[in-house]
Amino acid sequence: MIWSFDLLILLFMVICAFFVIQVKDLLGAAIVFGVYSFLMCLLWTEMGAVDVAFTEAAVGAGVSTVLFIAAVHRSSRQVKPRKRWRRPNKAVGLIAAGLLGGVLFYASVDFPDWADPSSPASTHLSPYFITEALADTSVPNLVTAVLADYRSFDTLFETAVIFVAGMAVFMILGQKTKESAQVGIDLTGGYEDTIIRVVSRALVPFMQIFALYVVGHGHHSPGGGFQGGVLLGATFVLLAISFDLKMVLGRMSEKKNLLLANTGVLLYSGIGVLSLLLGANFLDYSILHTLLPSTGPVVARSHAILGVEIGVAITVMAIIILIYTNLSSGGTNEKGL
Amino acid sequence: MELLISSYNYWIYIILMMIGLYAMLAKNNLIKKIIGMSIFQTAIIVFYVSISAKKDATIPIIEHGKGHGHSAVISAMDYANPLPHVLMLTAIVVSVGTLGVALALAQKIYDRYKTLEEDEILEQLQEQAVSDSVMTSSGCDNDK
Amino acid sequence: MISEEQIPVLIIVVPLLGALLVNLAGLLTGRAGISLILTVAVLSLALAASVQTLLLVMEKGAISYRLGGWPPPFGIEYVIDHLNSLVLVVVNAVSLIAVVFSGRSVKAEIPSHKISLFYCILILLITGLSGMTITGDAFNLYVLLEISALTGYALIAVGEDRALMASFNYLILGTIGASLYLLGTGHLYIMTGSLNMGDLSSLLPSLYGSGAILTSFILITVGILIKMAFFPLHTWLPNSYSYAPTATSCIAAPLVTKVSVYVMLRSMFTIFTPAYVYSYLNISSLIVWLAVIAIVGGSLLALAQRDLKRMLTYLIVAEVGYMVGGAWLANRLGLTGTILHIVNDALMTLCLFMAAGTIAYRTGNLSLIASRDRHGSWDKSSGSGLAGLFKIMPFTMAAFTIAALSMIGVPPTAGFFSKWYLVLGAIEAEQWGYMAALIFSSLVNAVLFFRIFEIAYFEKSSGDMGIKRGESLEAPLSMLAPLGIVAVSLIILGIYSGDIVTHIIQFAVPLS
Repeated sequence: MIWSFDLLILLFMVICAFFVIQVKDLLGAAIVFGVYSFLMCLLWTEMGAVDVAFTEAAVGAGVSTVLFIAAVHRSSRQVKPRKRWRRPNKAVGLIAAGLLGGVLFYASVDFPDWADPSSPASTHLSPYFITEALADTSVPNLVTAVLADYRSFDTLFETAVIFVAGMAVFMILGQKTKESAQVGIDLTGGYEDTIIRVVSRALVPFMQIFALYVVGHGHHSPGGGFQGGVLLGATFVLLAISFDLKMVLGRMSEKKNLLLANTGVLLYSGIGVLSLLLGANFLDYSILHTLLPSTGPVVARSHAILGVEIGVAITVMAIIILIYTNLSSGGTNEKGL
Repeated sequence: MELLISSYNYWIYIILMMIGLYAMLAKNNLIKKIIGMSIFQTAIIVFYVSISAKKDATIPIIEHGKGHGHSAVISAMDYANPLPHVLMLTAIVVSVGTLGVALALAQKIYDRYKTLEEDEILEQLQEQAVSDSVMTSSGCDNDK
Repeated sequence: MISEEQIPVLIIVVPLLGALLVNLAGLLTGRAGISLILTVAVLSLALAASVQTLLLVMEKGAISYRLGGWPPPFGIEYVIDHLNSLVLVVVNAVSLIAVVFSGRSVKAEIPSHKISLFYCILILLITGLSGMTITGDAFNLYVLLEISALTGYALIAVGEDRALMASFNYLILGTIGASLYLLGTGHLYIMTGSLNMGDLSSLLPSLYGSGAILTSFILITVGILIKMAFFPLHTWLPNSYSYAPTATSCIAAPLVTKVSVYVMLRSMFTIFTPAYVYSYLNISSLIVWLAVIAIVGGSLLALAQRDLKRMLTYLIVAEVGYMVGGAWLANRLGLTGTILHIVNDALMTLCLFMAAGTIAYRTGNLSLIASRDRHGSWDKSSGSGLAGLFKIMPFTMAAFTIAALSMIGVPPTAGFFSKWYLVLGAIEAEQWGYMAALIFSSLVNAVLFFRIFEIAYFEKSSGDMGIKRGESLEAPLSMLAPLGIVAVSLIILGIYSGDIVTHIIQFAVPLS
């Protein structure tokens, strides 16, 4: 909680944000947006929010930047100047931002001091989570415990959100026939770069093992289903960028991808329905100890949390690949970045 | 000065939110609007995460050795608040989902109108509307 | 195996699993027809569960369901009282009827390899709306709000050409709305440390003087107002619902804005209690005046439209104005009127959009410009697609007429009764501007609809409307039957309004 370091990072973030919206080159904006996300990860690690920083690094700085680049490459890279004054958009924007800022500044006077251990947020619900979660669920990573057990329903719908996003992208962009294909831009200019290919080929197995480790070890270290799933998806995206979209699709066809996406959410809700069928409330994992021999309710929770995280990881991986392949090829899966 | 030290980071989040909101409403280019949306959402996420920070507290993972065997006592003062972290994991995932859909829409719009600038798209739409109402040969549907 | 107390959660779980199954079925079998059957089956089960829940609540009072078995406020809780169980039944009933209705139009408007995907996302939209209604946790509501929003953007974007830009604008504005809601919840959290609605209502009273709580109320309310298309934040709605495919507009138009009105009511009743909202904050009159502007603005804009579907979307904006004004009248009559209007307006809008969908399916032309407005040298067929429809599509126009009468507020249709309560509430609260707006809007609706009746009754239908020779000119049964059911229900609901109020709604209104 070194406040000068904090302040420095925040100032850089504001500078980046300002630059991002003003610059005329969209590719530059996408890259600086990646920098902005990385600065946020630093900030959060410094605040002690390691799981969130991990997710932001994987999702925000990693995947979002690649998605922006894919989208920009397929369309236009330059921002054109406004042709003529069409609508009072600038005025509306300024007024809205000003109003919002005014209201929020007014509210901030009442806030408890930053990082105050006696603030309402730190004294109301969270002491219970901190002191009892290990005893309730036998999972030391409190974020995983709260995410996958206490607030498991939220996480189920969060998985559903990412599922819907992938399906939406597929529905909006997906094309059955390739006749109307728009050929994507080839990043390497058709030229095979041996170094990139060899290195990425060598890295991918380690990345995938690490991703699986992140999913499995999420109970004890920062990590969990989302982060692991994004990492797994990112390995395929890396292969798609360094080689060819066709190579990735050869290994992970679109149909297999969609099936995997469904399976993950089914696994998650299946565990919940299993609890229902056994007589407890939806997503009440403790009842599952009747199915698993020689475990008590507490350990059953730990196992169920793992199962749920695996479901999340499968879906997230499939959706990241789906969104990337559709965005970079305009839905045709012909040529990617 | 007290107020400044204790609240400066809230103020910076507010500035970030204002930048994001302005970009979403005032910018002409669709991708810039999407970037503004991302900045707006991430600023809200930073706000939530800052609620969870605690002085002299460590990350919310119970250290090995404590709590096992229920001999050691876990003190709530030692660990950061995990609840906002959970909420913001959800929010990050939601925002990346929205980003994906927005980029897909932008791409499809580019394929159709060959431009990513809102004013040019509106021009094309208006021209199309005028030509639709002029063309009234028999059987021509206005709204399909 | 599944006991009675688990029924509330089935309203959410069954459609969620159903959506996945529809998607899997589409992927594995490659046939689109099976998606419709599965969707109807899943939605029927959800409707049965929601009706059962309503009966349970009427019998025993509010139900609380703990997800994951954790007690609130540590876990997420469902709190189902009279207000949400009523809205749940409306949501599920409207969606089931609309899905049955739009079976044919989906086949006509959506490419066949995307149909099972379309239904999967449609079911998830309904799950999101049900989930928003049933939850008792402020953050859970945000997640479900985003699900219903994302599904909405996708379902609109597969419509006709201009739907893409409309969906993009909806996405930008909708994200602003949802993010403002999230920010407001964050302010609540930073001041109290809790997210559970019941918990918040007990923690907030000691903080009423705080600026942060006022800010959170403003943020949450403005976010919800964007989502419900309250004038002048309504700009996303006309384009999105006019250009969307018929199936989407039949489900989204009646439901999305009404569920947002429900969320506003829930935040006013449960999170910030009526004591704070009405007594502490003295803004009720201001909001009622804003509602007056919304009603007048929506009605006038509807008058200016030349396309039937677009006109109907502006009427939604006016109706939202009724409900917001009614809620802020701060008396029992006004709130009763608002809640009754949620039910009635959902059905009226459904009926009107279904009728418009039927006309579009048969004639493909929803223009309202009468033929004799055009120059004589132009083709007759360039005129209104509704010309002479009373003779050609009598059943459709009959249903349309009933819905129109309900919009105008003619007894015994349902629309009259909810307007009656709103007017009574306005008189009691001495909000004469609001009462005048209600009457003005009824007159404008009368003008709008009688103009349509004139075209449909007196105009000669043009010979060439793309109808094949020998085919029946009326709409197919799969479209007519749902239309008929909803039209009849408008009358039945009107007759039984009193019973609905005494048995359900009066318990939904908090004792203020």
